[in-house]
Amino acid sequence: MKSTMSLVKPAMRGLLAKRLRFHLPIAFGLALVAAVAFKFTVTEPRKQAYADFYKHYDSMKEFSAMREAGVFESVRPTGK
Amino acid sequence: MFSHVLLKVSSDRLWSFSSTASVAARSYSHGKQETDEEFDARWVTYFNKPDIDAWELRKGMNTLIGYDLVPEPKILEAALRACRRLNDLASAIRILEAVKDKSGPHKEIYPYVLQELRPTLSELGIPTPEELGIDKA
Repeated sequence: MKSTMSLVKPAMRGLLAKRLRFHLPIAFGLALVAAVAFKFTVTEPRKQAYADFYKHYDSMKEFSAMREAGVFESVRPTGK
Repeated sequence: MFSHVLLKVSSDRLWSFSSTASVAARSYSHGKQETDEEFDARWVTYFNKPDIDAWELRKGMNTLIGYDLVPEPKILEAALRACRRLNDLASAIRILEAVKDKSGPHKEIYPYVLQELRPTLSELGIPTPEELGIDKA
């Protein structure tokens, strides 16, 4: 029967170890979830966007458009 | 020998936090593991040195505080008596503050330690931070 006059001895060793044993797996798990979430919400859509953009990209057509717009120094627009 | 470590744990002891493994001064798992009782006895002996000097007191306390444990009342009693021999009341009170700090969120530890140390505190005339009103900022 615990008396209120005398406190019982609490745990005094390994308190940090106990805390880490609980929190570190959670921390690693959350970090892993964050990485996976980032991969599938950012990197994969971004990769797909690039792939879609370049799937039907006509570099000569784009070059000609830029040439005619006069942004190059190495080639002048046709007709000049 | 009293190397300054916070929590150095060897790789294969990483999750084996048994009651005897609260400190690891070296990161090896071979060799005899010191029991809690041996650890406590060693530290009581350290502070009980009759001619302990101020440096050894500070060194001992700082090393002890670096471990993943709150020192046992019997170790603290030996340290407080060493403070008495060195006429160092400031360190005695600081030791009590350190115990409270080491307890962290476990608020039941400090009152227990004070309970166990009460006879020694009365004998040596050491006030607690609470009695001095210096426990609040």
